[in-house]
Amino acid sequence: MSTTRHHINRQRRRQARETRPAGAPESAGRRTRTAVPPPPGASPSSSSSARTAEPAATGEEADRARPRRPVGLVVLCALTVLLGGFAGWAHAEAEALRDEPARSNTALTDLARTSEIKGQASKAVGTLFSYDHADSGAFEEAARDLLTGKAVDQHRALLAGVRARADEQKAVITTTVTESAVERIDGDRARVLVYADQSSVGTAGSAKGAKGAKDEGVYAGAMLAVDVVHRDGRWLVSGIDTFGR
Amino acid sequence: MKRAVRVLAGTRSRPLPALALALALVAGGFAAWTGQDWYHAAHDDRAAYAEQRDAALAAGEQAVQNLNTLDHRDLDHGLDLWESSTTGELHEQLASGRREFAEQVKAAKTVTTARVLSGAVTELDDRAGRARVLVALRVTVRASDGARTDKDSRMLGELTRTQGRWKLSALGQAPVGGTPAG
Repeated sequence: MSTTRHHINRQRRRQARETRPAGAPESAGRRTRTAVPPPPGASPSSSSSARTAEPAATGEEADRARPRRPVGLVVLCALTVLLGGFAGWAHAEAEALRDEPARSNTALTDLARTSEIKGQASKAVGTLFSYDHADSGAFEEAARDLLTGKAVDQHRALLAGVRARADEQKAVITTTVTESAVERIDGDRARVLVYADQSSVGTAGSAKGAKGAKDEGVYAGAMLAVDVVHRDGRWLVSGIDTFGR
Repeated sequence: MKRAVRVLAGTRSRPLPALALALALVAGGFAAWTGQDWYHAAHDDRAAYAEQRDAALAAGEQAVQNLNTLDHRDLDHGLDLWESSTTGELHEQLASGRREFAEQVKAAKTVTTARVLSGAVTELDDRAGRARVLVALRVTVRASDGARTDKDSRMLGELTRTQGRWKLSALGQAPVGGTPAG
């Protein structure tokens, strides 16, 4: 049956192409609507053969598209799934790479930020752990200026004894950072390891001169780690770790 | 009417392929974007540098700990570890002084253990394979009579990469007040 129908269709198509190349799509397109989904199990009556023939008559376009469409559609869908899958996978891979702890830590990889943090943390430690009995106002101002969060209490506790002794001995305590290194930078937070030397010099000519002189030039090495946080363009000390000492 | 019908027919017969094509293009766009994103993430120079930094620090901390750990009952193993953690001049020093040192420790009967408190890299030249680290260390010495002493050490280490592995090539303590501390 189908062979006959196809034969007829082909003939019709050829005819259509020859006789009305311009008018064909117009008259045929209308019927395409009804013809596109051929009723399943439709009897190959004359009307059915005519209907199936019609879309072909819309011209080459429809003729080509009709048998190819499902294949093209399937290919497109498969392509979409594949590309979408690749996109998702590549995104996951990229995120996994970026989430590696080594990358999220920008110490040394961001040299400018590293040296900025190093410099400011070293200066802060030097200021915070130095004390002049004659100028305790400057010391308190530095504490207000450079500390934040729990570091305020930590600093007060750490230096309470030192202050009392310095006041008693009229001493000047100077802390100099000798070595420092940035352990990690994670956005606006960082941790810096600091080696510092602390010297205590008794003021000459004081009432307790003998005691002061005894302390003169006493050096002590200290090591501590400070947590710093970036706020208003500056790095403030937010935590002081003296390793349990 | 005919025209309208044709337009209708055109849109009705095409939406599926058109939609599929649009989706495929969108998916292609995403694939291209995420693909290049992934490529850049995988070929990031800073990431490679960061990995070297972390490798150097890990090796440095371990080596410094190794060199501050020694049990008089297990000298050979301990000193082998010392030698495998070091390279260059430091390695030669340790190797040449090994016998003498072993005698001393045997006589003193001490057990030394160390714990790394904190460590950080100060300099890293990943091409030359050189790095400098600070390692804050707490060393515990247990004497033969059972007495324990804790001492904090501010270590400065230099690392050299040999055959893909970071090893200590120099180790010392940060000097206090301009003079090296014991």
